[in-house]
Amino acid sequence: MSTSPENPDRALLAWAKDRYPIGKFVEWAEHKTVPIGPGAFWYYFGGISLFLFLIQVGTGILLMFYYKGSADTAFESVRFISAKVPFGWLVRSVHAWSANLMIFSVFIHMFSVFFMRAYRKPRELTWLSGIVLLALLLGFGFSGYLLPWNELAFFATKVGTDIIGVIPVIGKPIMYVLRGGEEVTGSTLPRFFALHVALFPALLTTFIVGHLFFIQMQGIHEPDAWKAQPEQRKTMPFFPHFFMRELLLWLITLNIVAVLAVFFPAELGIEADPFSPAPAGIKPEWYFLSTFEFLKYMPAHVGPLEGEELGLLLISFGFLLWCLVPWIDRGQSRRMTTIVMGTGVAILIFLTILTGIGYAT
Amino acid sequence: MTKVFTLALFVLGMALASPALADDLPGGKCLECHVTIDDDLGELWQDDVHARTGIGCDACHGGDATQDDSDLAKRPGTDYQGELSPLEITRSCGGCHGDVEYMKARKPLLPVDQLDKYQTSEHGKLLAKGETRVAQCASCHGAHGVREVNDAKSPVYASNVPATCGGCHGDADYMSDFDIKTDQYDEYVQSVHGKALLEKNDVRGAPACNDCHGNHGAAPPSIDAITNICGTCHSYNAELFLGSPLAPAFEEKSLADCVACHGKHLIRHVSDEWEGDKPGATCRKCHEEGEEGSELALYFTDTFGSVRQSFEEIEQLLGEAEVKGMDVTEGEDYVEAARQGLMQARTLMHSFSKPVMEEKVTEIAANQAAALEVGYAALQALEDRRRGLAISTLLLLLLTIGVAIKIRTLPPLD
Repeated sequence: MSTSPENPDRALLAWAKDRYPIGKFVEWAEHKTVPIGPGAFWYYFGGISLFLFLIQVGTGILLMFYYKGSADTAFESVRFISAKVPFGWLVRSVHAWSANLMIFSVFIHMFSVFFMRAYRKPRELTWLSGIVLLALLLGFGFSGYLLPWNELAFFATKVGTDIIGVIPVIGKPIMYVLRGGEEVTGSTLPRFFALHVALFPALLTTFIVGHLFFIQMQGIHEPDAWKAQPEQRKTMPFFPHFFMRELLLWLITLNIVAVLAVFFPAELGIEADPFSPAPAGIKPEWYFLSTFEFLKYMPAHVGPLEGEELGLLLISFGFLLWCLVPWIDRGQSRRMTTIVMGTGVAILIFLTILTGIGYAT
Repeated sequence: MTKVFTLALFVLGMALASPALADDLPGGKCLECHVTIDDDLGELWQDDVHARTGIGCDACHGGDATQDDSDLAKRPGTDYQGELSPLEITRSCGGCHGDVEYMKARKPLLPVDQLDKYQTSEHGKLLAKGETRVAQCASCHGAHGVREVNDAKSPVYASNVPATCGGCHGDADYMSDFDIKTDQYDEYVQSVHGKALLEKNDVRGAPACNDCHGNHGAAPPSIDAITNICGTCHSYNAELFLGSPLAPAFEEKSLADCVACHGKHLIRHVSDEWEGDKPGATCRKCHEEGEEGSELALYFTDTFGSVRQSFEEIEQLLGEAEVKGMDVTEGEDYVEAARQGLMQARTLMHSFSKPVMEEKVTEIAANQAAALEVGYAALQALEDRRRGLAISTLLLLLLTIGVAIKIRTLPPLD
């Protein structure tokens, strides 16, 4: 094959190679490998989360072409998107379903990393940046839920921001800033919109780059058993073996999103009216349901604290411990590892049960 | 022992409270003494609209309110009147409330014709003949606890009026000598007006007894006045009826316009069964089967029946589309417009004109057709979506198979 102008593909490559270190990248890609341990399947969920994020970016941009982020126009613009814009219903439904699946996928990714103990040295910052990413995604979900400005979203936001207001000292000011006043009103919507389309995407992109950079620098975690028995070590090339498998899962994920969007399209609901009473059975999205249920079952008062205050204190303490897991379990004490893994299982069961109760009641 | 202690506390409380009441409220020495005799007086007087404006006991009862001694307070020359008779009450209240100059200086927006109207009322006429069991000012407004009409605790506040009137007019024993029915209150509470006022608390919109009968000039309305009375609120219905061929016919037969079909106190929601030419239908009260009027009644029944059936069909269709996840809010807007049209059609019925009704029904039918179109289009769109999904799934499947084949052709792992 010649790299002459007669062969345009090669010519373009030659042009690029002449200016950029393409060769180094190709060499890196050819040598990049992925370990094939007992839990190798779970590695794919990081990539699935990334794929769903890309769907979010694409559909989010399309929605912004028509969405109008003010209390007077938001509901009507969403209605217009769903009813009049060609494939608007599809874009909106894919955005909504992809968001939910992304959070679900990130949860799976986080717990798989946890149970494979991949958070240990030297990957502490990868773990921490992952937790920040999860927190940002929950923020994305919370802010995006209000944007259609329907009754359910309005009151769920009210309940959600009420919970934030319970946090001692800083809760009230944060709640005030988020709401744009004492109550959830038309002033709240532009703030949530700004967070959803400006601040959170910028932060999320930054942290994703950081997260991927750490993974790239340190490679994917390998099973602990391989340290003692290096002969068991088995890997596969990232390109094309792992990439093709990942692509396969992306295609399946895309189809799942499409089926969900067609058979269970995002609902429009009833337009929010700040002066109407809250309808019965207001619940947050599924990923906040366990927290919501936990706070609901707290007693009214515990000593000098209100039940909700204590609940939030416990959740905050638990979250802090979760962040510090790489330093709590350094792999030096089998007993500590057992305790941490047992706690992880207990947390998983606890979250599942509370979410189930939240749905059932 | 506890009872004695409680009694002592009560006496002490009253002793301390009485001078305080007398100090704050107008009434002078009269009040100081009478609050110890009449338990309710102090409490009633505190809320009384006259007491708040500084009007004392002597304004109605005469006497000298500056005297400690009751004999001196009631001595001749003080115009002391004691307890007022019903006729004296009307004169006493009317003395101020009928005085234009006096009222202009104190409450300029309050009408001053209450006594004049009262004298034209059945109550006033009977009182003038010496019947003291009839209602006078204090019977409805109270005596020492008179409140503003817009005070929800006032017996003449809109939602309290039916019970106030019903207090006498619903009492069969009390009314036995007057030869009038006593079921008005019971009927009213079951009526659309009663439910709106007493259950939905629609004090601005729903009429109470006084809105039809008048308040101070309360009397049964004459046949000629019925359309005007109902027409105060239902003005368009009244206008249509007066312009209809039925108005002169009713006049000829001395029928009370609205009441002849809708009733008086027990006015209920109109249903489709009302019209038509079946025995028991309202129209059949006057129109025999096969008459021109009966034919029109049949047209109304068939039309409304058909419109109602279409609503059922539309609701079923839109409901089906909605359950399947389709947005049919545009269709619901058309349904709402059609429902508004139906409501207007019910009003237009009072014109008793087929062409007028046909025009409105055409409008309703157009909205219903548009709603149906939205419903069918939604179901069609759903089919299109599923077809599109099937095609894209097939393409994705082919792509997935292609990738899977590619994976199999990759060099084996070590």
